[in-house]
Amino acid sequence: MIYQQLINGLMLGASYALIAIGYTLIFGVLNLLYFAHGEVFMVGAFAGLYLVVYGGANIYVAMLGAMVICALLGVLAVYVSVRPVPKDRPLAPLISTIGLTIVLQNLAVYILGGQQVAFPETIEQSLYTIGPVTISSVQLFVLGVAVTVMVLLWLLIEHTKVGRAIRTVAENHETAALLGVDVNRVVLLTFMIGSGIAGVAGVLDGIKNSGISPFMGLGAAIKGLIVMLLGGLGNVLGAMVAGLLLGLIEILSAAYIGTTERDFFSFAILILILLYRPNGLFGTRTTE
Amino acid sequence: MPDVSSGGICLAIEGLTKRFGGFCALNELDLEVAQGHIHALIGPNGAGKTTFLNLLTGVLSADAGKITFNGQPVDDSRPFRRTVRGIARTFQNIRLFPHLTVLETVMIGEHCRAFPSVWAAFTKAVLQRPFGECSEERQMREHATELLKFLGLADRREARASDLPYGEQRKLEMARALATQPKLLLLDEPAAGMNPRETVELDGVITRIRERGVTIILVEHDMRLVMGISDCVTVLNFGTKIADGPPERIQEDPAVIEAYLGEEVPL
Amino acid sequence: MFDWMDGYTRVLLVFAGINVIAAYSFYVPYKTGQVSLGQAGFMAVGAYSSAILTQKFGVPFAVALASGGLIAAVTGVAVGFPALRIKGVYLLLLTLGFSEIISVIALSWDYVGGAQGFRNISFNPWTLEYVAGVIVVLLLLFSRLERSSLGRAMDAIHQNETAAEVMGIDVVRIKLLSFGLGAAIAGLAGGLYAHHATYMDSTTFNVMLSVEILVFVVVGGGSTFWGPLLGAAVLNAIPEILRALRDWLELLPVEWTDFYPINRAYDLLHDFLDFENAKRLIAYGLILMVMMIARPDGLLTRDGLLRLRLPRWKTRYA
Repeated sequence: MIYQQLINGLMLGASYALIAIGYTLIFGVLNLLYFAHGEVFMVGAFAGLYLVVYGGANIYVAMLGAMVICALLGVLAVYVSVRPVPKDRPLAPLISTIGLTIVLQNLAVYILGGQQVAFPETIEQSLYTIGPVTISSVQLFVLGVAVTVMVLLWLLIEHTKVGRAIRTVAENHETAALLGVDVNRVVLLTFMIGSGIAGVAGVLDGIKNSGISPFMGLGAAIKGLIVMLLGGLGNVLGAMVAGLLLGLIEILSAAYIGTTERDFFSFAILILILLYRPNGLFGTRTTE
Repeated sequence: MPDVSSGGICLAIEGLTKRFGGFCALNELDLEVAQGHIHALIGPNGAGKTTFLNLLTGVLSADAGKITFNGQPVDDSRPFRRTVRGIARTFQNIRLFPHLTVLETVMIGEHCRAFPSVWAAFTKAVLQRPFGECSEERQMREHATELLKFLGLADRREARASDLPYGEQRKLEMARALATQPKLLLLDEPAAGMNPRETVELDGVITRIRERGVTIILVEHDMRLVMGISDCVTVLNFGTKIADGPPERIQEDPAVIEAYLGEEVPL
Repeated sequence: MFDWMDGYTRVLLVFAGINVIAAYSFYVPYKTGQVSLGQAGFMAVGAYSSAILTQKFGVPFAVALASGGLIAAVTGVAVGFPALRIKGVYLLLLTLGFSEIISVIALSWDYVGGAQGFRNISFNPWTLEYVAGVIVVLLLLFSRLERSSLGRAMDAIHQNETAAEVMGIDVVRIKLLSFGLGAAIAGLAGGLYAHHATYMDSTTFNVMLSVEILVFVVVGGGSTFWGPLLGAAVLNAIPEILRALRDWLELLPVEWTDFYPINRAYDLLHDFLDFENAKRLIAYGLILMVMMIARPDGLLTRDGLLRLRLPRWKTRYA
């Protein structure tokens, strides 16, 4: 029984982790709370859905398509919400992203209606048993994709030139510029990567929950923020671990204490971290 | 020079120590500042001078040692209480309120003298007459204007603090600190970035502040200013006091010369 | 007092007025530089406290409302303590977390209805009068605060907190006062809402509400005391303006618009101006984005006020 809960926890945690990655990457390079990231997640889910239902695509193509669409959405966000807004007033970029959130969410409601939509079945249902653990093919798929994405991202950040550029910009814009890094381009790239991953996360959530709604973005946004803080602002690896951790905590507390209390734990953790370990579990990596 | 023999000791420091991790910024410092003196604190960069000022104002808390101000021990944990007791300072890297005008900035310094508590300030704010200004406000404005005149900033009083040139910003820092009616004023490198003419003007200003009865601790690198104006000089190096006394004696002290030049000067 | 008004306008003004009051609740801590996304939580505290008092203990409305504000104030000071050493993003998250925890409590506490929500709260027919009264008092309060030394001290804390502290300003007490006062005002707004809408649940005072309140103040202009009023009024008026535009559009003679492509444009525009939630919100979001590019300091700034040459007592040291 506990293994089922653990798997559920990991699944939820993987979702949180993937969303938090985008948040933390963007915060790392810009010190900006990219509020609209939750809506990108939602757009990804719907993009995947439409590709499958109307495009007749298989799930892999749908995920790729969602990733591309969300990456483009990230580009749009940079040009519309980030670049034209003066950075010296700390709240202005935040409010611009809030505006973007409102636009995206309500555009979705306007075009798609405010109801939950069923996500079509795309993976053959079967069960696998490994020792005491029974895991379904859907669960395996979701976890597999999530882990793959996380590993690929980690490799990108740590072992490629692009990743190094991102890390340098996250450290300090001026130093990066002096070292010949095109800061604007790196920021754009960071948005694209973060948004793309959120898109994949959206599709995975659709598969996992078999239902998506235009309102799924806000809740995801808030949880993503908590995970980002828990892992340390700007810390990608931290976000991954913290996401899995939070997912496990939520599922386990829901199973053994009660479902309404499960959110309480997440917010209590948020407050405790803020008060006693604001650098998160693993330390921050953000711009001076 | 005012007679200081009857003034007594303004500030007494015993065994003041501050460590940052393994690094000892200030090591068992003993120091006495006489009333009405201009007491300079000099030393190479990193000697612990700014740490000392931060410990005095309460921004940092000491690991060991005692501070006695006008005979009373100083252990207030909140910096603002020390200011209320009469210790004020200026900052080495100017810390003004960018969007306040010059006059408003100085009036901030007046606030703690006009209102003994936040509650008093709040009641006054809420219950004041809708037109004209209350008596506290008028008094504060008069004091502030007088201070601006004293420092030569009177005609700039509607200017925004961030719009002022560097030299005037330094003067504004001093005016603001003086507005708190300090008994002890800590000047943190007031001559930094000044040309010789401005430094001479500063010399005059500091002297005039002392004439108003304020004891001054001057942290400075400009030796001509320091030796010309100080009654007493303390030299720090690597957090330790290496010399203490009148300027003429300090200038000859071999330990001091070695600290600054890094080598022994053959006598 | 406002009997001559029709029901629709009355309800509109009540909600707009409550939004104005909520905007001022954000303005107080913001003046010291503390950006709070938790004002909805304080509204909830005030709303639930006052509703409990009127429904479960039969306390008269005015007393309950004031008590709700007081309880919210205490909560505000309590949150204000940890907020003292936290800034920026962290403070946003702390206040957000607080607000969400209040929501969770409202959801799981059956005494106030739990998931079903708090129903059948007694309706206060004088809500509009109360709201107007509170707003007048707030305007008087803030106009005086702005001219006072305390207001100046708050600005100083906002602009350079360490310098303010070293200049003798009791930063801790002033910040706590701001949080408490802001929370009290939010509590009043919440209490007024609860006794007008007569129903509330854990989703009523949510994150988006806190966000909207922040937006009112930043759009209106956070550096003068007219900002919150202006921001809340303008942003609440937009849907009504859009509706009026649509009505005007319908007055156009049919012959003018009955040919392609004008009729297509007409249909689209008419459809878009329809006072329906999603479309109104899209316009709202677009306006926010445009404003942050064009006028990030808000509609009203101190310089703007000076240029308008308003009477002496609205500006400082003229």
